[in-house]
Amino acid sequence: MDLNSDSTKPIYIRIAEWIENEIIADRFQSDEKVHSQYQLADLFNINPATAAKGLTILVEQQILYKRRGLGMFVALEAKSMILEKRRNETLTQMAMELVLEARRLSVTEEELIQLIKKCEGEQK
Amino acid sequence: MTVIDCQNLKKRYKRMNALEDITFQLEDQKITGLIGRNGAGKTTLLKVLAGFIRESSGDVKVFSNNPYNNLRVSANSILVDDQMSFPDSLTLADILETAPDFYKRWDAELATNLFRYFRLNPKQLHARLSKGNKATFNMIFGLSTRCELTMFDEPTNGMDEAVRSDFYRALLKDYIAHPRTILISSHHLAEMEHLLEDILLIHKGKVVFHQSLEEVKEYAVALQGPTNLVEKMTAGKEILHTKQLDSQRKYVVIRREDLPLIEGVMIYPVSASDVCMYVTDDRKGGIDDVFK
Repeated sequence: MDLNSDSTKPIYIRIAEWIENEIIADRFQSDEKVHSQYQLADLFNINPATAAKGLTILVEQQILYKRRGLGMFVALEAKSMILEKRRNETLTQMAMELVLEARRLSVTEEELIQLIKKCEGEQK
Repeated sequence: MTVIDCQNLKKRYKRMNALEDITFQLEDQKITGLIGRNGAGKTTLLKVLAGFIRESSGDVKVFSNNPYNNLRVSANSILVDDQMSFPDSLTLADILETAPDFYKRWDAELATNLFRYFRLNPKQLHARLSKGNKATFNMIFGLSTRCELTMFDEPTNGMDEAVRSDFYRALLKDYIAHPRTILISSHHLAEMEHLLEDILLIHKGKVVFHQSLEEVKEYAVALQGPTNLVEKMTAGKEILHTKQLDSQRKYVVIRREDLPLIEGVMIYPVSASDVCMYVTDDRKGGIDDVFK
């Protein structure tokens, strides 16, 4: 399996994001066990310590919780926490870049909003 | 648990110092990449650790014993390299059959399965193998010993692209199933960095750094842009690498720090393998300067 090949991001961050995506897509439900560091290492062909670092980030953010000797589980509010985090951080960041690029290309605010509406329409 | 402990290790050959001053410790159950340029001392270091040659001075401990002529070390460690030799009277099948007498954790099933997968001929003699097949057989042997300390010296030399990637995959899968201390040297950091937890970089017989792979990846940043702006931003900083791209633009690598964003200057990450290359470069310029 291949990770999103956005190679500027450290692998452990991409592991954390992969698990988050699985949670958002309901492939991991609340209180369900997620992959162990060894399963992740096997799945993504990486060192288990790197995989563990990805899991640790999610434990620190309380998206996952640890049950001693049993593994890592999805927290009750994990999905809404991830969605909120992505809206506040990732999406805002992307919007910022979009605005900057539009400015570089002399695209007006009006034109940019039209473009977004057009994209929305195509997705429907 | 500390598996390897080197303190001020030196190894002198007649005309040169192969190891000047090596100090590091290796914890158990990690995969560490031993990285360095040609002649850095990688092979000498591995041979001292395996107990094949004796250190000239300093202190070296493997499983708390000096490895030279030590039975405990030789029973629990293996060094896989292209100089491994086996008796000429034994076929490859014979070698695999006698191995459990020497290695108590020998995994015969793994050995047989890998042997079949790589389509080696059981009746062949080790000395007659092609370079690539010899490297493959040695790798199978090394993995199957399941030694607590497994060392590989340039294991993929001679292997074709497909075998290399199979080897790295086999190493990782077997490590996941049976974690142990693995030290692996290579010129090709980029092709194996996904496997590594730590990097031990040596240069001219000395340790440059011993860090986690993630730390190495965050060691440096590259700035690219108009020469005057880049020079202003990097003034007074430790410059690891520099390249004049054309008459107006420059590429400079420095230690990572928070830098102000300046219009026109791009900031890029520097890969672990480039970091290792730049910090072990003693020349002022690069290969391009030869052709000026």
